[in-house]
Amino acid sequence: MPTRRDLLILAVLVALAALIPLVTGMRYIVTQATLFFIWAIVVTQWNLVLGVGGIFSLAQMALFAVGAYSTAMLGYYFELPMLLAMPIAALVTVLVSTLVGAACLRLKGPYVALLTLAVAQMLYLLITNDTACFTNPPSGCMPFFGGVRGFTRFGDLGFRELLGGKWYVAHFYVGLFLLALAVLFSLAIIRGPMGLAFQALRDNPGCAMSRGVSKFKYQLWLFALSAFFTGLAGSFYAINFAAIGPTVFSISLLLFLMSMIVVGGIGTIWGPLLGALILMLTDEAMREFGDWRDIGLGLILAGFVIFLPRGLMGLPVARLPRLSGRRRAD
Amino acid sequence: MSETIKKPNIIPSRRVFLKGAAAMGTGAAVLAGINDGARASGDPIPVGQAAPLTDFAAADGVEFKNGLELACEEINALGGILGRPLEPYFEDTKQMGDPTNVQAVQRLIDRHAVHAVINGYNIGSGAAVQDVIADAGIIYVHYDTTIGHNNLIKSDPARYFGSFQGDPAEFWYGPGFLKFVQGLEERGEYKRTNNKMAVVLSAGVYAANIANAIKETGADYGWEISLFETVNVPISEWGPTLAKIRQDPPSVIAITHFLPADLAQFMVQFAANPTPSLVYMQYGPSIPAFREIAKEASVGVVYATLVGALQDEIGTAFETRYKEKFGANAGHNSGAQPYDGCYVWATAAALAGGTGEPGNEEQNRKVAARMNALIYRGVTGVTRFVPNENAAYSYPTQVADSSLGMPHQFLQIQDQTKSGGLIAPPPYATTSFQLPPWIKG
Repeated sequence: MPTRRDLLILAVLVALAALIPLVTGMRYIVTQATLFFIWAIVVTQWNLVLGVGGIFSLAQMALFAVGAYSTAMLGYYFELPMLLAMPIAALVTVLVSTLVGAACLRLKGPYVALLTLAVAQMLYLLITNDTACFTNPPSGCMPFFGGVRGFTRFGDLGFRELLGGKWYVAHFYVGLFLLALAVLFSLAIIRGPMGLAFQALRDNPGCAMSRGVSKFKYQLWLFALSAFFTGLAGSFYAINFAAIGPTVFSISLLLFLMSMIVVGGIGTIWGPLLGALILMLTDEAMREFGDWRDIGLGLILAGFVIFLPRGLMGLPVARLPRLSGRRRAD
Repeated sequence: MSETIKKPNIIPSRRVFLKGAAAMGTGAAVLAGINDGARASGDPIPVGQAAPLTDFAAADGVEFKNGLELACEEINALGGILGRPLEPYFEDTKQMGDPTNVQAVQRLIDRHAVHAVINGYNIGSGAAVQDVIADAGIIYVHYDTTIGHNNLIKSDPARYFGSFQGDPAEFWYGPGFLKFVQGLEERGEYKRTNNKMAVVLSAGVYAANIANAIKETGADYGWEISLFETVNVPISEWGPTLAKIRQDPPSVIAITHFLPADLAQFMVQFAANPTPSLVYMQYGPSIPAFREIAKEASVGVVYATLVGALQDEIGTAFETRYKEKFGANAGHNSGAQPYDGCYVWATAAALAGGTGEPGNEEQNRKVAARMNALIYRGVTGVTRFVPNENAAYSYPTQVADSSLGMPHQFLQIQDQTKSGGLIAPPPYATTSFQLPPWIKG
């Protein structure tokens, strides 16, 4: 179960973050913070799969897209309120994740990576190669999955109408709330029985399996459960930007998010959040440099892999167990 | 370009000012006149652009950036907008698509509080950016060339008052092409061998909309669509498609797919055993790579653009200024889009008494009203917006008067070492149509 210390850290961080819209009048900072919350949710959940479960999955953005597309399609075709569409989309993501997991998790290492990447590419091609007009809205021919253009005008949470130009402040707090829930879930997994099972499987697989700890079963559970918040993040992403399209499948975005985990520290509780914060700030600082921005991010990632493979949480000062929150026998 | 224009902070005499502005087109002269010799030294007006500065469309994206920069520089030399200089900001839309475009435009509004967004094109744009613009109450000029824009504005003109498409919708490529062929026939420059037309398209809204427009209106011009084939792209092997064409040779082959390398391969493989057909292609032949790959097989191909710099006094003066600033290989045709878009907005804003920041919908509605009333002669011809659709009129398909619509330009490659010659519409054409070598025999 989550320790008091972790909960206290979370409470303090949430309280501090909640002050941002109150202390800054800059819309830009508030909207960027909302985007940070979304990516932070994705990386905390991906970290569970990658760092805790030891599953080298590259399907995370595909699952994110499933959540986003499910929300958009529920709103677009069935005019479902977004508040209802969000949890349904998250459950759809869990279902898809379970199916993908059942197909992939009997494989090992790079084969899992390849198969999950193939699944993501298959979904991407399914969407972009769908060109037949399913409906004909004012904006032009709309294929069933939205085609290369994607979905827009599928609904929102109602804050645009309620708060007018200040709708983005409400979205900030929704994002913060979802992130807090995702971190709580992450703490419960890492500190709970599932975390202990994975620790046992990592430290002494023979002993763990002889005691009835099934690697496949636990990995499948983790793969499916972590998809709930990933799908929810995708759902909120679509609602926040009022648009979703196949660009969420881009490899560069996948690598950007993976870099957050690597920079922060794989398998740690707070590392992915720290990595997300640092990389978003770095990305922002390098925005004016065009292609150099990608090269810069690549260099940072390479630097961490070579010199700090455990990320920032692996630095001597952070490696003290009470600060890193990492449960490792080594 | 006059010396005056190169030095923004010198107040010239009104006469010198107007003289310099006239070299850039009548629109610039109007703006200079409204500014009345004012120096652009007040608070800068932030103006934004969301363009594909990296990734596969970067070649065009960089030119969009150049076009806006040049326009801002020149407008500032003319006194800005009522004495306030323009300050451009840019966001990268990379692979484009609505979610990326929306984020880029939202960032321009949030981070720089831009009063207007002046884009070139962004592929995959639907209705999303117009909503962001409507929420912020600012002005948006883009060259996405999509009928979706017209339909969206028509659905709620009051909400989307600030969104303008600086060129006609892609739909006009279809009937415009049919009208062009009709003109060739009427002037005796071309004679059809039968009433058959083959239409080849690729997946995607742009190519499909143009192909469908040809299919739907072809009968009005006496054409029977004998082949309507969708190809998977990128494509280098045209054998199956060519086999169908050779089996039932049409008078005209219209290809609405637009990637230059694919189209060049078509011409190379077509030239080996050509049918006596007029070959029309979309966009690709305007790119030098098309001629470099197809070589002599490129000669005779006809292509078109709904928006591009004209090869007249104003257009060539722009080309000279553009290439002086950005290099001999710079693509002024792409840069011409946001260049004209910026002038249209700036002139209307000056007439309306200034621009409006995000949230100042009242002032921006005045600017939009002026834009709707404006007939602007720029480097791409005339920009005049269709009421309640906020998209440029196309000449000669939509309007018969060349002073009231943007010329739908038809070009033909007549020398593989040079870009296409402008063969229509009058009075802008600089050369005549020549029968392709494979028809002449």
